Amino acid sequence: MLAAAGRRVGGRLLAAIPAVFGVVVLTFLVMRVLPGDPAVYFAGGPSAGQAEIDALRAEMGLDRPVPVQLMYYLRDVATGDLGRSLTTGQPVMTDIRQRLPASLELTFTALLLALVAAIPLGILAALRPGSAVDHVVRFLCTMGVCMPTFVTGLLLIYVFYYLLGWSPDPTGRIDIFASTPPEITGFLLLDFALTGDWDGWRAAFTQLILPAATMALFVLAPLARMTRASMLAVLGGDFIRTARAMGLPGWRIIVVYALRNALLPVLTIAGIVFSTMLGANVLVEKVFSWPGVASYALDALQASDYAPVQGFVLLMASIFVVVNLVIDLLYGLADPRAVAE
Amino acid sequence: MHVTRRQGLMGLAAIAAAPAGFITPAQAQSRAETMRQVTGGAVNTLDPTMPGSTREAFGISMNVYDRLVAFGRKQVDGNWLFDHTQIRGELAERYEISPDGLKITLHLRPGALWHDGTPVTAEDVKWSLDRAVSAKSLAVSQFQTGSLTSTEQFRIAGAGVIEVLLEKPDRLALSNLAVPYAIMINSKLAKQHATAEDPWAQKWLQANTAASGAYKVESFRPGVQVVLTRNEEWKNGPLPFFKRVISQTVPEAATRANLIEKGDADLSIDLQASDIATLQSRGQVKVASIPQSNGFTHISFNTRMAPFDNVKVRQAIAAALPYEDMFKASLFSRGRTLYGADWTTPPNADFPQPLPLKQDLAKARALLAEAGLANGFSTSFSFGTSTASTSEPLAALVQEALGKVGIRIEIQKLPDAQLNTMQAEKKLAFYTDSGTAWLPATYYFFYLYFTRDQRWNFANWENPRIVELSNAARFERDGAAYETQCKEMISILADQLPLLMLWQPNMDAVMGKAIEGFTYQFYRQVDFRDLKRA
Amino acid sequence: MSAALGRPSLLRHAGWVLRGNLVTAFALGGTALLVLVALLAPWLAAYDPIATNVANAMRPPSAAHWFGTDQLGRDILSRLLYGARLDLAIAAAAVSLSFVLGAMIGAFCGYHGGRLDRAVGRFVDVLMAFPLFVLAMAMVAALGNQVQNIVYATAVINLPFYIRFARTEVAVRRQAGWVEAARASGNGGARIVLGFLLPNILPNVAVQISLNLGWAILNAAGLSFLGLGVTAPTPEWGIMVAEGARFISAGHWWLVAFPGLALMLAVLCFNLLGDGLRDILDPRMRT
Repeated sequence: MLAAAGRRVGGRLLAAIPAVFGVVVLTFLVMRVLPGDPAVYFAGGPSAGQAEIDALRAEMGLDRPVPVQLMYYLRDVATGDLGRSLTTGQPVMTDIRQRLPASLELTFTALLLALVAAIPLGILAALRPGSAVDHVVRFLCTMGVCMPTFVTGLLLIYVFYYLLGWSPDPTGRIDIFASTPPEITGFLLLDFALTGDWDGWRAAFTQLILPAATMALFVLAPLARMTRASMLAVLGGDFIRTARAMGLPGWRIIVVYALRNALLPVLTIAGIVFSTMLGANVLVEKVFSWPGVASYALDALQASDYAPVQGFVLLMASIFVVVNLVIDLLYGLADPRAVAE
Repeated sequence: MHVTRRQGLMGLAAIAAAPAGFITPAQAQSRAETMRQVTGGAVNTLDPTMPGSTREAFGISMNVYDRLVAFGRKQVDGNWLFDHTQIRGELAERYEISPDGLKITLHLRPGALWHDGTPVTAEDVKWSLDRAVSAKSLAVSQFQTGSLTSTEQFRIAGAGVIEVLLEKPDRLALSNLAVPYAIMINSKLAKQHATAEDPWAQKWLQANTAASGAYKVESFRPGVQVVLTRNEEWKNGPLPFFKRVISQTVPEAATRANLIEKGDADLSIDLQASDIATLQSRGQVKVASIPQSNGFTHISFNTRMAPFDNVKVRQAIAAALPYEDMFKASLFSRGRTLYGADWTTPPNADFPQPLPLKQDLAKARALLAEAGLANGFSTSFSFGTSTASTSEPLAALVQEALGKVGIRIEIQKLPDAQLNTMQAEKKLAFYTDSGTAWLPATYYFFYLYFTRDQRWNFANWENPRIVELSNAARFERDGAAYETQCKEMISILADQLPLLMLWQPNMDAVMGKAIEGFTYQFYRQVDFRDLKRA
Repeated sequence: MSAALGRPSLLRHAGWVLRGNLVTAFALGGTALLVLVALLAPWLAAYDPIATNVANAMRPPSAAHWFGTDQLGRDILSRLLYGARLDLAIAAAAVSLSFVLGAMIGAFCGYHGGRLDRAVGRFVDVLMAFPLFVLAMAMVAALGNQVQNIVYATAVINLPFYIRFARTEVAVRRQAGWVEAARASGNGGARIVLGFLLPNILPNVAVQISLNLGWAILNAAGLSFLGLGVTAPTPEWGIMVAEGARFISAGHWWLVAFPGLALMLAVLCFNLLGDGLRDILDPRMRT
């Protein structure tokens, strides 16, 4: 059983290699098509001339033909070297290691928040399809999707920070004057919990709420919609009818029998939503000065700084593969039939 | 027990009951001695000479590293402004310039220490100056503008004495020792981290410091924040007021404005012009509005590209633009205008100074007809994304105004990297951008922005007389002759119009009411050493 | 499925769903209103959307300017009305481009299978693994921010879905009796795919098309916020919202509120319409 699962994981990872390879090459080429020249941008001192630009270009290897650059880049990537960022002056690997936990923590929290809201709403809608409740739920969830995230974010800041003063200042992961916990996992909530610093935990948590809510609002609709659809399908099933006929209490049927069976498709959507959010939270990270990977990639993209953008896309592609794999394995655990191919 | 400063969102009931957290006296004290600056840009290196270092990085380095000398400051209209004509000692206690202007002797301050407690020596200074002219960095070309090009020009002349030797009496040689690139480095420490391929420890100094300045770097997270603590041993100037400085990157300008207004941050120098008036009227903050006297926003023509190679076309466009509306829409009139002067010969040798630019549509049409383009022509007008909030309204007005004389404009908003590349390759026909000269001497502006085949020659301009005059002015020892040369350059510029000088935007430093002493510096960042909380 | 049901029954069913479903009716009404506004913009707008009047800048809503004026004194209502044209055009162009391309590629792959199918499958895998918003940003940065490039970037983002969808749907039906019949009566592959298979999957993608229309508008707005949107002075909702958002803290709320509401209404209608279409097309809902 375990060996089979291991083989399965290995097989899936191997199968994903061509796609990831494609992503690396495609990103590399897209970056080279960008009309900005990083050497010109970065040799931008008040008195820098052509000599500096040429020197920097040579140092970055940009004076070589593109295919040669690509070969060097692939060799570096294979050895775990993602290059150096000109925007931060650090190796891309270091930058990503510092910033990825921030993005992951935000995305996980947002997804959790969205699921906590979307599943009950979806169930509510599914119990009375076509009713006023169903329509109200649908309307509310859709409202969340139809505002650009940056507007939602700016509005939340304006109301909850500026006008009401309920929220701490919307800049980054932790109160700037508070001390950070010793870095154990990089996830602030975990690190604070591990060190038992509950005041710190609460401070970090309050910083998280607004950006997470901004993101959660945006993904509420697909999750609620999928919960509703999948609950509807399950509730129409024979075993529910049997359970009802046996006189089991209504809530028990819904929670224990129906929901358990309806959750799998929701999980799939949640996985897809997670990968999309991680790549698409550029706007939220910008608005909330969140030190994550997406805003890192954006700054680099605007400066035509190749290495960080390439590193970021590679990272996102890898996470995409892993998330799909995890969902797949969860499927296998929940429903052994799904494993048989 | 550790107590958070603010309670924040903890469930609606709790919030309604307790909107603000409680603060212990000790925390209030440490907050009062902490300066929190919020900036749009980010610090990307601790070594300001690294290619690509940002303006914010220059600012941090001025507080962390000492230079041999520093500019003084003066008060204008109640605001402090740097004064490049007064050069005082910093790490050097005093200096002398020989009568022929060919030798500068600098005497190091006795008892000056590096952050690690070791004494500053003439060897360290020599190494630092050698590094500035030898290592592949931005310092090389800057030092050239002061005729500082070779390690042989720097000589140790006894314990704590350094001589700088010049071939010609360059008027900016000494000034160059005060710019952000002229950092003095603890050479013993740096050499420990130098390698065969990196003899000047450039890699190590990007993320570490070997300095002697008023502040030490407590933590540095590139692109996120820098925290500085006061160097209690600093003797090279009066000890700064703030014990701790946090410089944090907050990309959203609106959020920066909110932070200052709520009192959570103390200072921001890069808010949007549109927010300043509102902030001022609400009365929660103090605003120091100082025109950036060493900068200018301009509209440039590519003077080697048709039809802009024709001076009549440039003059026609200059006569077609609605300067007053542009100033109002773009900057909400916050700055000093450089158009609308009334002279035929320049009243003085200062630069930038207002040039005789005025809207006159009839003149514009006549000039276009003289240029053989009575029916107008089509061209593009470009600007960079990062300046969109001021350039976009400007571009819309340029498009509309030129439409009236038959010139059809396509507006191009380009990512900054692309704008810079096209600028360097001289592929932009007509665009707006801005420039700032660290050393605002009139000849230096002309040398930097109007001569040579290089990126900062915005208009791709080649005028033999300007080249001749700027080179002569550089080494001119006679004050009156220098002034005549400068005035002639300004006259040529006003006549030939390779670019249209528009205005000098204000630096609007918005700060808490108790913050005092803000000084506008030539590198357009905050010198924390000047600041205090009343 | 839908092919088996006759058209009249579908229409009757649609009418029934609409009567019972106010939300869908609202969405339909809203969409119709938007299209109408876009078509009639030149007659509805009281001012030239790009004519500036700096003396009259930043005025709050008044009788002369119902939605106020912007930084250059332009009438916001007039800009919104004209903006409807461009926004609907961007959304429609982007979605139809990705649908037509995606469905054709997917359908041919599904029909023919083989090496081409596998190659396209790999390409789709690569696209799917890409952080798509970043891809859109990079494309606009690389090609320049003209309207057509924003359309291309948005189209590429949606492409993988349509390819996958069309491929699966066609592969399932390839062996169906009526396709065999079409083949037997001498129709070539291209004709079968274009004439028989594609029209049959259209109703099932209608839902996705409607949702994507909303996303396309949001996407353009997001790009504008990052400085990669449509260039001024073209009136477009996304850039109006993105620029207006900068003035929230200065108290000039009308600069963001009205464009924001317009954008919200459009996206809301498209999304709800998608859900409504799903109900109409979902056989389980039919009683």
